Amino acid sequence: MLALRGPHRGTTSSWSTYAGKLAEGTYILVLMIWCGIGDGSPLSLEDCDGCVSRLATGILRRPRSPPKAFAPTSPVAAISPFRTAPPRRKSVNGKKWKEIRNNALVSHLTPFISDGGIVGSLYSSPSGFSSVLNGSSFSLPEGHPPFATQSPRVGVSLHPANPSCTGTIQPITTNFSRQSTEVAWCPDAVDNILDYTDNNTCVGNQMPSNSAMVSDDLSKQNEWWTDIIDEDWKEILNETTAIESQPKVVYSTTQSTPNISVHEPPIHHSIPSNSGEICTVISSSSAATTAAKPRMRWTPELHECFVDAVNQLGGGEKATPKGVLKLMKVEGLTIYHVKSHLQKYRTARYRPDSSEEIFDKKITLKEEIPSLDLKMSFDLTEALRLQMEVQKQLHEQLEIQRNLQLRIEEQGRYLQMMLEKQCKPSIPVATTVEGPLTTASDLMQSTDKVDVPENSHDSANTKEGSKQVGNKEKMPDAELSDRKESDAIGHC
Amino acid sequence: MKFGKRLKRQIEESLPEWRDKFLCYKDLKKLVKLISATQPSSKAEAEFICLLNSEIDKFNAFFVDQEEEFIIRQMELQEWIKRRVAATSAAAEYARIGTEMVNLHGEMVLLVNYSSVNYTGLAKILKKYDKRTGGLLRLPFIEKVLEQPFFTTDLISKLVKECESTMDSMFPAAAAAATAAREEAVMVVEQRVFRNAVAALVTMRELRRGSSTYGHFSLPPLSSPDADLLQSLQLPSPIPIL
Repeated sequence: MLALRGPHRGTTSSWSTYAGKLAEGTYILVLMIWCGIGDGSPLSLEDCDGCVSRLATGILRRPRSPPKAFAPTSPVAAISPFRTAPPRRKSVNGKKWKEIRNNALVSHLTPFISDGGIVGSLYSSPSGFSSVLNGSSFSLPEGHPPFATQSPRVGVSLHPANPSCTGTIQPITTNFSRQSTEVAWCPDAVDNILDYTDNNTCVGNQMPSNSAMVSDDLSKQNEWWTDIIDEDWKEILNETTAIESQPKVVYSTTQSTPNISVHEPPIHHSIPSNSGEICTVISSSSAATTAAKPRMRWTPELHECFVDAVNQLGGGEKATPKGVLKLMKVEGLTIYHVKSHLQKYRTARYRPDSSEEIFDKKITLKEEIPSLDLKMSFDLTEALRLQMEVQKQLHEQLEIQRNLQLRIEEQGRYLQMMLEKQCKPSIPVATTVEGPLTTASDLMQSTDKVDVPENSHDSANTKEGSKQVGNKEKMPDAELSDRKESDAIGHC
Repeated sequence: MKFGKRLKRQIEESLPEWRDKFLCYKDLKKLVKLISATQPSSKAEAEFICLLNSEIDKFNAFFVDQEEEFIIRQMELQEWIKRRVAATSAAAEYARIGTEMVNLHGEMVLLVNYSSVNYTGLAKILKKYDKRTGGLLRLPFIEKVLEQPFFTTDLISKLVKECESTMDSMFPAAAAAATAAREEAVMVVEQRVFRNAVAALVTMRELRRGSSTYGHFSLPPLSSPDADLLQSLQLPSPIPIL
């Protein structure tokens, strides 16, 4: 997830290779459908790439204008602008994109998953995807026209009178079932490897030291990640600003798609209204703007700006949403956002008064327990300290857990990738002994990361790597030393 | 204990307004059961995916909303502190500030916990789904989840840390309290948030103790330094939460 991507210069060519494997026209057509472009306007695959990844990651719900949203940058990039600066633009049709995303997720998952999860990885690491696909046996069989008929499933039909609507489910399923058999042996291979590691683990003794090492390890990795990300986000921010003109084409053509058919595959009827709304939302283009309820993510900086504006207008009570909006001068902020935020603000301000009652109640409670120290000057009660302690601990554990989860998912992706590579007949099975020592850097390199921080990756990685290796006493297969770590701890 | 049960218990202990915002694990499980192994891409599968998506939307909406509120409250508290410090107010006022701060801290941590619990639930249900259908929905879907607003808890964590540092500067650590005082403190402490936090910690520890379906995507056990703390905090049966 944290694998960041730079501009996908590499991916364009990789995609055309892939497209060449299928009927090229149909694939590109699908992408265009995906991006909501029906008129076949010339669109680079790069845009589609970014567009598709944006759709799938739900970043569209962030208040950036769709042009920005379509910029082929990492989804992670969307987070940083919000942390460091107020959002510059907002998605004009926030709801629209949200629906597209929903629908895209739904439909993306079924047809694309049928390719064996690789295409799924397309959304997070397109170049990884392309490298996997080249020559991979997971690509759809030649000559099979899967996508053209699947288009209605997206809910945006280019062929209003497509009779094969109901029939579309079938092609998907055949892909699906075929794919599952093809994939069958790979998970088994993984299981075998894991069995091997399990047999080799010496469980009980290692547990305490391992868990301690894990936490240390993780805190270091956490820092390392944060450093990398901070740097990268700045770079990506710069890139994002640079790619302004191109995506606008995407957006305008989306809007101009006329009369999208309300033709939906029957399966959607049983689904809650999410995807059902998508057709009406798209066809009503700009009219949806004012009615839309785009969700925004506030940041402390933005809030400060808000507070300043409010104070300038005479305080929480006197300030009006319109006035605040004007004063803030933040692009992409709507009056709706300001209104709801102002309401929250007012509620929060009056909270201190209401807490007074609660406080008084607590005082009386404490007075009934004489042995408790009632000294309250500049000092927290014991109760509060205790509460704080528990909370702190919980938070700490949560952070550790989160990092672990992220790392595990990464490992999973890495393994998946390696397995897929090994599916290629040319590569011998027992190649990958690099293991987690270079996992992260491998992942990042293969996903077209920005070049600058790569050096720091390697050095940080080797530091951790040596730490891990030192930990594993007699682990021949270094690749799965991480797995072993967690397995060892688990099997107690 | 199964995850579903643990989740239910967590929800019971959680703040009232949050209870319907958690993952509908049970419903999702029912859908997975409906999915037949033989008939691929049935209606049930589509329903499942749809429910997943709407759940994620629910999480995102709630999370972002809460985050916004916390930002506001945090800033308000800080303003309040500035004013009070300048005016050198009575001790009682400081105590009030302290209480507010601790509770805010607690709620923020609980939000992070909310995110974690839901993520775990999602991961588990996806695993079940994959097992059932032989599909590969899990990996790509989880990647999507990792990027969702509700899972990107960095800002909240930052706020939590800020809160902690403010607390430390305002109320420097007192001498270690006697156990008696501590026990009494347990009785007095603010119920809602505290109970929830304790429950969360306990659940987390139990969840990670190791399961029958332990795999390479499972987390190792909790490395909790202060196991005694939790032991002493095993509160009696829950007082009905208002």
